[in-house]
Amino acid sequence: MNSGMWQALSPLLALSGGTVVLMLQIAFHRNPRWSVAITQLSLLLGAGLLLWLWPGSDYQSLLLRVDGYALLLNLLFILAAAVTCWLSPAYIALRSEQSGEFFLLLLLATIGAMILAQAVHVASLLLGLELLGVALYALIAYPDRSLLPLEAAVKYLVLSGAASATLLFGFALAYAGTGQLAFTGLSESLALAGSGAYTLVMAASVMIICGLAFKLSLVPFHMWTPDVYQGAPSPVTGFLATVSKGAVFAVFLRAFLETGAYQFPIILNSLAAIAVASMLVGNLLALRQDNVKRLLAYSSIAHMGYLLIVLLVCSDPANHDLAVEAALFYLVAYTVTTLAAFAVLTWPGYEQYQGPEHTELKHLSGLLWHHPLAGLLMLVAMLSLAGIPLTAGFVGKFYLFSAAVTGPHWLLLGSLVVGSGIGIYYYLRVVYYLLRRDDNHALLPNAGWHESCLAVVLLAAVLGLGIAPQSLIGWIQSIL
Amino acid sequence: MLALFYFAAAIALIATAMALTRANAAHGLIYLIVSLLAVAVVFFLLGAPFAAALEIVIYAGAIMVLFVFVIMMLNLGRSADEEERELLAPRYWLVPGVLAACLLVELAVISFAAPGHSAGIVVSPKAVGLSLYGPYVLAVEIASLLLLAGLVGAYHVGRRFIDRSGGNKS
Repeated sequence: MNSGMWQALSPLLALSGGTVVLMLQIAFHRNPRWSVAITQLSLLLGAGLLLWLWPGSDYQSLLLRVDGYALLLNLLFILAAAVTCWLSPAYIALRSEQSGEFFLLLLLATIGAMILAQAVHVASLLLGLELLGVALYALIAYPDRSLLPLEAAVKYLVLSGAASATLLFGFALAYAGTGQLAFTGLSESLALAGSGAYTLVMAASVMIICGLAFKLSLVPFHMWTPDVYQGAPSPVTGFLATVSKGAVFAVFLRAFLETGAYQFPIILNSLAAIAVASMLVGNLLALRQDNVKRLLAYSSIAHMGYLLIVLLVCSDPANHDLAVEAALFYLVAYTVTTLAAFAVLTWPGYEQYQGPEHTELKHLSGLLWHHPLAGLLMLVAMLSLAGIPLTAGFVGKFYLFSAAVTGPHWLLLGSLVVGSGIGIYYYLRVVYYLLRRDDNHALLPNAGWHESCLAVVLLAAVLGLGIAPQSLIGWIQSIL
Repeated sequence: MLALFYFAAAIALIATAMALTRANAAHGLIYLIVSLLAVAVVFFLLGAPFAAALEIVIYAGAIMVLFVFVIMMLNLGRSADEEERELLAPRYWLVPGVLAACLLVELAVISFAAPGHSAGIVVSPKAVGLSLYGPYVLAVEIASLLLLAGLVGAYHVGRRFIDRSGGNKS
């Protein structure tokens, strides 16, 4: 309980404090504008405190570690939450009678994601994961005028609960084998473990990988993804696709490195198999999708498969820094791009009536001509996901590629190339619809300054990271 | 000692398997309670009497209360009485009763016949409290946020059904 601890935890405390204030505000005086303002203010405060801690902080306690890695990812999650919060008010107001709790749950989910990025202990991993998960169930089910979100939430609840139970069982087995719960403690006893503990630890690793792979929707644990993506309200889908997956990947990478799990060839081989399967299956299933949200769901499976390459590369200590650098850059690029795509799908004018969402490909038809800004944003997001030069996605993919060629990862590299090749087809299919000259465009988006501002910012971020990535790369290198 | 552990573990497994395969939710719940009691005995044998007590108070107790509440809310009227009498037929409670009686006998054996009854270090409630509010205090705080998320989420999702049945909306 010293000042260093309070400083290191101040961003988390800022968001928790915001949660309490927001809860009191909802209890005494419901007002959506105030709720949004309180949420944005506490996110802003959290981001400010993170920048204030930058980059000298290296606080370590039993449960959490606040280092540069955690700070960068926390900042990314807070910004993504702020974008989600910026997008949602009009969308939620149309679809639910009360919108205050939405922002409360959004803040809680963000806290869960931040804890995941800082976790160095099995207990904080599990608690962060559950905080994120429980808040997400309610966020997915939030619109109370249609049944599709409820169905998606129930699917996510049941499957995610099973995955968490598997994960917990894995931790229990690891504890039985080693008697340790902290990541570093686990690595020490793994080195000393005899053959009896080896079996237990391997069984534990398999269960832990299954649990985390479910949350990352990697093949063969990907079944829930398209339904949940489609059913969830678009801003929440964007949040789920970026913050939830980013946070789980962050803790996966940290656990993988700090527990020394990379010493075991069985784990490496199974991860490689999962990565190859995700890259190929995700991209192949996306080919025939006519719904943009389902398409993005399958594409996210493939993108998480690309990211898994990093885990295999960083098992070699010589390439460790490059691999982590690639992972962080790719996560930032993927987050920005995915948020841009979901921002267009959320576009409130586009959603003016209260029925199901209009996210079929044909609804995007001719968007670029009817609403140039929204169309341009979607166009750039698709090109970035496909990895076309001058966008953030290209630099990210280039990074992954250069990390992968440092070792003998030819199968992974081949899958990356083939997967990206297949990907271009369906991303360009969206672009083709965007560019169609189609006059019977029923839903004209009428964007206010609100949405236009956000669109310009996201557009600038995607293109900026693609054209001039040096500043972000410099930042990432300074913290490693 | 080891035999006692396997005995309790076997009861837990049998009861859980029965709970999963019952068609009637009420019967499944009774097996679930037996399974939780057996797990409590396992905890006790492993040297965690506090966890065993919590298992009984929170899980077995809370599930019992929930069960009673659901029965009270769903089954009203004459026909429900008939159904309830049907549910209480001996063939439904005999097996869970025997399993629970086995656990009781085991508990008696542990208490009177086998003095060195638990393995490893016995973890006292004080030790649990000290570690929860010592090194793990952050975990307690995070768990409180988790409960808040669950509460707010349940309130919002549940509200939809309350409004519908109240006839406010068509």
